Amino acid sequence: MDYIFHLTTLSSIFAILAIGLNLVMGYTGLLSVAHAAFYGIGAYASAILMRSQGMNFFVAMGLGVLLSMGVALLIGLVLSRFDGDYYALASLGFNVIVFGIMLNWEELTRGPLGIPGIGKPKLGDHTIFSNMEYFFFTLFFLIIIYLLARLITRSSFGRTLKGIREDETALQVFGYKTVYFKLAVFVIAAGMAAVAGSLYGSYITYIDPKTFIVMESIMIISMIILGGLANNRGAVIGATFFVLLPELLRFAGFPPDIAAHMRQIVYGVLLILLMMYRPQGLFGEYKL
Amino acid sequence: MSLKTKNLEKHFDGVHAVDHLSIEIKPGVITGILGPNGSGKTTLINVISGIHPIDGGEIAIGSQTFSSIKRHEVPDFDITRTFQNVRVFEQMTVMDNLLVILSSRSVLTSLRQRATPKQLDRAQEVLKKVGLWEKRNSLASKLSYGQRKLLEVGRVLAMDKKINLFDEPFAGMFPEMVKRVSGILQNLKQCGKTIVLIEHNMQLIRELCDYVIVMDAGKLLAQGEPEKVLAQKNVIEAYLGE
Amino acid sequence: MDFVVQLTINSIIAGSIYTLMALGFNLTYGATKFFNLAHGVMATIAGYTVFYFSSQPLYISIPAGIFAAGLVGYVLDRTIYSPLRKRKASNMVLLVASLGVFTALESLIALKFSSQHQSLPEIFASVPTFNLFGGSFTAIHLLIVASAAVCALGLHALLKYTLFGKAINAVSDDEEVSKIVGINTNRLMGQVFFVGSAIAGVAGILVGFDTVIIPIMGMPLLLKGIIAAIIGGLGSLWGGVLGAFLLGFVENFGIWHISGEWKDVIAFGLLILFLIFRPQGILKKS
Repeated sequence: MDYIFHLTTLSSIFAILAIGLNLVMGYTGLLSVAHAAFYGIGAYASAILMRSQGMNFFVAMGLGVLLSMGVALLIGLVLSRFDGDYYALASLGFNVIVFGIMLNWEELTRGPLGIPGIGKPKLGDHTIFSNMEYFFFTLFFLIIIYLLARLITRSSFGRTLKGIREDETALQVFGYKTVYFKLAVFVIAAGMAAVAGSLYGSYITYIDPKTFIVMESIMIISMIILGGLANNRGAVIGATFFVLLPELLRFAGFPPDIAAHMRQIVYGVLLILLMMYRPQGLFGEYKL
Repeated sequence: MSLKTKNLEKHFDGVHAVDHLSIEIKPGVITGILGPNGSGKTTLINVISGIHPIDGGEIAIGSQTFSSIKRHEVPDFDITRTFQNVRVFEQMTVMDNLLVILSSRSVLTSLRQRATPKQLDRAQEVLKKVGLWEKRNSLASKLSYGQRKLLEVGRVLAMDKKINLFDEPFAGMFPEMVKRVSGILQNLKQCGKTIVLIEHNMQLIRELCDYVIVMDAGKLLAQGEPEKVLAQKNVIEAYLGE
Repeated sequence: MDFVVQLTINSIIAGSIYTLMALGFNLTYGATKFFNLAHGVMATIAGYTVFYFSSQPLYISIPAGIFAAGLVGYVLDRTIYSPLRKRKASNMVLLVASLGVFTALESLIALKFSSQHQSLPEIFASVPTFNLFGGSFTAIHLLIVASAAVCALGLHALLKYTLFGKAINAVSDDEEVSKIVGINTNRLMGQVFFVGSAIAGVAGILVGFDTVIIPIMGMPLLLKGIIAAIIGGLGSLWGGVLGAFLLGFVENFGIWHISGEWKDVIAFGLLILFLIFRPQGILKKS
């Protein structure tokens, strides 16, 4: 049972990541390969603040979110000039750069050693410790993020994002400064990723740069493509599937090291098949 | 409001698509722009609407003169347009295609807003005018080519600007759609709007236009009243030589 | 001073490897206009094929490796990219599909050969080392530089002087028109993928001889190749070569005063600077 809560907690964390990226990729049509960077910035910022400043989890998370959004604003100023393949490549570049900083700024991040002993959140005097409690704690954040995303995608702003996805040039001729919209959604998504990062660090109690590599960004992209682009529910379903898939493979009798590779193979083949036969994903409302 | 170009230039890889063109679009009337394929008609409105940067010369709108126009400023100059190769927002509903035209251009306001009753009413009014109200919940990608052209016209109506540029709005339309759109154009004229119409169909030009401008190889070939211009020898030659 | 010489030598070696990656990437990009992310794994396939045929003499295993990479590239085009192109899929769809190919193939290799690194058989009984103005390099390094030169010149000749090359140029300019004038674009694309992937295979094998092979070697190689291609000017053969050497030099001299771990950061920093200030690259393809 404890293990089930472990899996659902991880699913919820990835669901938060997927919902955020879906705003950028599914709704706005921008293939950002930098999402893991903001996940990492949130995780590192709150871990460092909690450990060295003894800060409360919520304050640390809040500051992590602000930092992540601030960095996203700077990166977004550059990124928002691009679209298509170039957006993908430039954002991937930023993920590599942020990863490089996590790995090499050892005074701050302890480099490849990572940060162990990250504290758990406290509600009053109560520490959220058991897997079950942590799951409900994470679920609470997932629900907030989900509702927030729903609000955004149903607003006029969300409609404009879709317009950018469909034809940015035409939309500009109708008077939109699309750069601001692209920037805003990128910053919002980065904030959501930072929430997931704080939750992850505090849950596992240990983080290192390897968790936030480009491959992780690609995994999150795969989740939303599978679940469905421009559909918030699809993002949650995709994330859950991706967390449960290795477990299914283990139940099917594959030893863990083989299961890890099998999982990647299944991801890869799924991406190919989806692109060939169902480019909007399982529940998606937008075809790439 | 009048629209003028002075020595306007645009070239692609050394080809002069618009070549030192000086024309004047008179306010409150329908001006037809015609010319053989590749004569620079679409390039002209692409330059006016900021799609392509200006390579030389100026554009004068009302009393102001510009040597560059940013796309998002186009509506500020009271200009809007349709696209020759339909550019509706394919994977959005017909309704959303119009609401996106009607909603706030500010990030913060649009984040707080869903469609207001006023915007919904206006969208309904426009959709009924172009005959797409029944289709409001379909994706634009599911519309026929002619219907998508109608949606383009709908977006122009929703923008409600003084100067309206129509790039071959009738191409690919059924006769009853043509009738509807020419009615819309005449109606806009009655409301005092300035209309530019790129069109190949001479019958429609004669019916709708008060004035025509003929372009050839990016240059002005002839201008004046439709009947006179269409009878001119060099105009006929330009078309036959195509 | 010796240090500067050594950094220069290292830059030239890195630039040669990046050249090999950029050549093939540019070739397929020029013809298809999509970012083929599976291009990197072709290098891995070639490296592991040589490893698989370790017991065979090198004059068999090396051509086998290059051929295997080319063949996989060809098959991928026939089975995945070409059907997608026929359906007029967007570049983004092709990019994501190639990402799937990359993920699947890389893991397949790891599944078969483990995710640990492996060594290729010795190419020389004892690797000769040379000294030049106080810097040193090995015979394998020499082979890398020579291979890059041969591949670049060979590809140049192929594109310029053969019917195959002229057809590729025609397709790169305008696929529709080429079809009309009677070029079998489908067969041609398959051949383009074969050649491009085979050149990536050369890079993978050389890296393997110089250091080791490891299943995850493809992505870093691909990314350096793409960066080189973009800063040189996408789709331009010599632009890619120029970009590769610029990248090699900036990367190696950039870490003069700081730790080598920053190399990737410098490489992508360079890419982003180019994307902002000169997105068409050094040599703009007309």
